[in-house]
Amino acid sequence: MKGNEASGGRTIKTLQFGELTFEDKHIFHFENGLLGFEELHDFVLISEEETLPFKWLLSVEKPEIGFPMLSPWHIDLNYDPGENFNLKKLVIMSVITLEDEAGIMTANLKAPVVLDVENQKGEQVILPTDRYSPNHAITHKEKKEN
Amino acid sequence: MLVLSRKVGDVVTIGSTVKITVLSYDRGIVRLGIEAPKNIPVHRKEVFDKVIEKNRKASQTNLSSLKSALSKSGVNLQNEIKEEVQPETIKFSATKNDNNNIGK
Repeated sequence: MKGNEASGGRTIKTLQFGELTFEDKHIFHFENGLLGFEELHDFVLISEEETLPFKWLLSVEKPEIGFPMLSPWHIDLNYDPGENFNLKKLVIMSVITLEDEAGIMTANLKAPVVLDVENQKGEQVILPTDRYSPNHAITHKEKKEN
Repeated sequence: MLVLSRKVGDVVTIGSTVKITVLSYDRGIVRLGIEAPKNIPVHRKEVFDKVIEKNRKASQTNLSSLKSALSKSGVNLQNEIKEEVQPETIKFSATKNDNNNIGK
């Protein structure tokens, strides 16, 4: 699964990010994949300067599969995934969906992706709370002035 | 599919760790009590299906469609957020994509 270990780095060809070179330390291993993508296990996180603070969770195995992501705290400062998450070693991110041509976007606050930065593991967790929606709108219809 | 008839108060076990109790039945609505270890997530199937649907749709997004969406819609984002740890990230710049910097 991990090629080119001698050089410590590997390069994959991606449609969106061209040839992408990274190291093993960048890979987050998702034992169970993401929901609906159970066959994909290794992902890297990309920050692209023009779309910050969005990040991209890109499949190493299938680089045409990539998810726009945002920290849920960018959306709701009081976001609270619950006590089970130790935020000293876990990074929580929400999958963003582009809903239509008009640019409407939603965030999945109900099922965040949890990245463990201590052992580079990841999983998507469905929170038991009804407080958060998988369909949380983050856009206004009209572009904001100024 | 295994089909079982149970009365209110009866229990079904799955493996040695999952117990499902029929709590009540009223006008077509069955209330179930489910006990399962933490590592076995239990969800209403609609929630599960919704997350799969959202993931599938999100996976179709690309850089240009996100940029185009951002130019069309206003997005209200909190800028000052507190995060205790940062994930390993690969920095990418479309304007200098011939030398991708590997982020620290």
